[in-house]
Amino acid sequence: MEEIALALFVCLVVAVIARRYSLPSIPFYILTGIAIGKSGLNLVPADAYSQYLSYLGLIFLLFYVGLEIRPKSLRERGRSLLVSGIIDLNVNLLVGFAAALLLGFGLLSSFIVGSAFYVSSSAMAIASLVENRRLIYPEAETIVWLMVFEDVLLILLISLFSIQGENPVGFILLTAAVLAAMVLLVRALDRPIRSLLARTDDLPTLFTFTAVISSTYLAKLLKIPDSLVAIILGSSLAPVAGPALDRLSQPFREVFLVLFFVFFGITIDFSGGFSIVAASVLCLLALLSKMASGILVGRVLYGSVPSGIEIGANTLARGEFSIALVAIFGSAAISATVAILVVVTSLIGAFTARYSDVLKEWTDRMWQGPGRAAEARPG
Amino acid sequence: MGVRCIELPGIGTKYELETEKGDRVAIIFMGSRKFQLYILEKGKAVPSAAELTAAEARRLGSLLSGAIIEAEKEAVEIAFSALSDLRIRVHTYSIRKNLAGKSIAELQVRTKTGATVVAVSRSGKNIINPLPSFTFQDGDIVVAIGDTDQLEEFERQILGN
Repeated sequence: MEEIALALFVCLVVAVIARRYSLPSIPFYILTGIAIGKSGLNLVPADAYSQYLSYLGLIFLLFYVGLEIRPKSLRERGRSLLVSGIIDLNVNLLVGFAAALLLGFGLLSSFIVGSAFYVSSSAMAIASLVENRRLIYPEAETIVWLMVFEDVLLILLISLFSIQGENPVGFILLTAAVLAAMVLLVRALDRPIRSLLARTDDLPTLFTFTAVISSTYLAKLLKIPDSLVAIILGSSLAPVAGPALDRLSQPFREVFLVLFFVFFGITIDFSGGFSIVAASVLCLLALLSKMASGILVGRVLYGSVPSGIEIGANTLARGEFSIALVAIFGSAAISATVAILVVVTSLIGAFTARYSDVLKEWTDRMWQGPGRAAEARPG
Repeated sequence: MGVRCIELPGIGTKYELETEKGDRVAIIFMGSRKFQLYILEKGKAVPSAAELTAAEARRLGSLLSGAIIEAEKEAVEIAFSALSDLRIRVHTYSIRKNLAGKSIAELQVRTKTGATVVAVSRSGKNIINPLPSFTFQDGDIVVAIGDTDQLEEFERQILGN
């Protein structure tokens, strides 16, 4: 048990330092985990307690994903979202998948690596847009909605991977039935849930925690993946009390997710088929392909390469969802590779996001030649 | 002068306005009672931004909406732009010898002028909403409320300026 305290304490110190320099904390949690865990000093072994607590982090993350899915507003965004989403998906999933395949991963493993390679970190993209004061740009809207699109794809990918080894028809029917039942149940209990969550005592928090924990039990009972049940629970509760549950589950998410990241790092094992060459190649490709898909989106939606640079620069970072995918489905080798991918892309992504203006100006000059760039600039 | 409103999931809501002169102003309401204010000057590539707390945003909002149009030394005018531009003026006056010993009822302040005395400050003490029987003393500071015309009448008829 004292290992958990030690891990959390180190994370707290590391997070304070990272915040001081406006750097994302996720890569530092993972690095901390690697440093004090199996592959490092071996100070903190993972046990049943830490496993359960970090598992809660994962479940709360997925519950949050479900909570944030709003089909109606997605549809309202229309064509531009679909275009940017599909470009982003096709370029990155394909490049990630093909690269993993060529680097010697199996077919399914490559698909998992490709998915982790594709999904950018919503948390980091949003934090960097707010922190670097980019929200006035129309590109910021494209980026934020692209993250929502990726969340939907994440759910599809989790469902796809979960079907592995199951009878697909039975699995889909059962999952759809659970979704329908949950939506109906929430609708029937609409009023009691609302009044419970409107209370000012401790009951709203207790309700939130209980609901999320119960979803894992329900999953075990029905023999469908707990990750899907957590998402389903979130999305069926969203229309009734989305904002309230978002606020109430935030503290749980914040604490348990840190444990999830650090223990993900702690359990990383670099001796089981991990190749530093493969990881480096993937990192490089991950940076290039996100930038390329960003530029493509910029050209299609805004007719402008600098717009695309802005989009690419803010979505380079892979983070929580990539880790979640490999934590659920990946082998030791995949986890180690993706851990490196997340650390590298999120740190480089933090800088590209911060200096996207410089990047834009620089490419502007490259693209147009010095003479025309000067002309294009007003004043 | 249309205001564009866009939902930004995970951040909040963005309101955006392009001014007549082509500058762009955006305000982002972020869930956690924080606000970001952006100004992108026409022709410039990089915006300036400020992050505001809820209190600061309210302060700025009341400045911009003209809630306090005029803050002269002795008067404040409050405008409620939502109520078909309702304007209320609050003015302070000092009472001189000629009114000493007279009560508000006796002077028929409201009947004659339409203005109302809402407070009196007497040797460091404040009396809010004085009764009609309240009697003025030399050196009292009174606070009267009304529209511009009513306060002008108050000055002319009651104070005798």
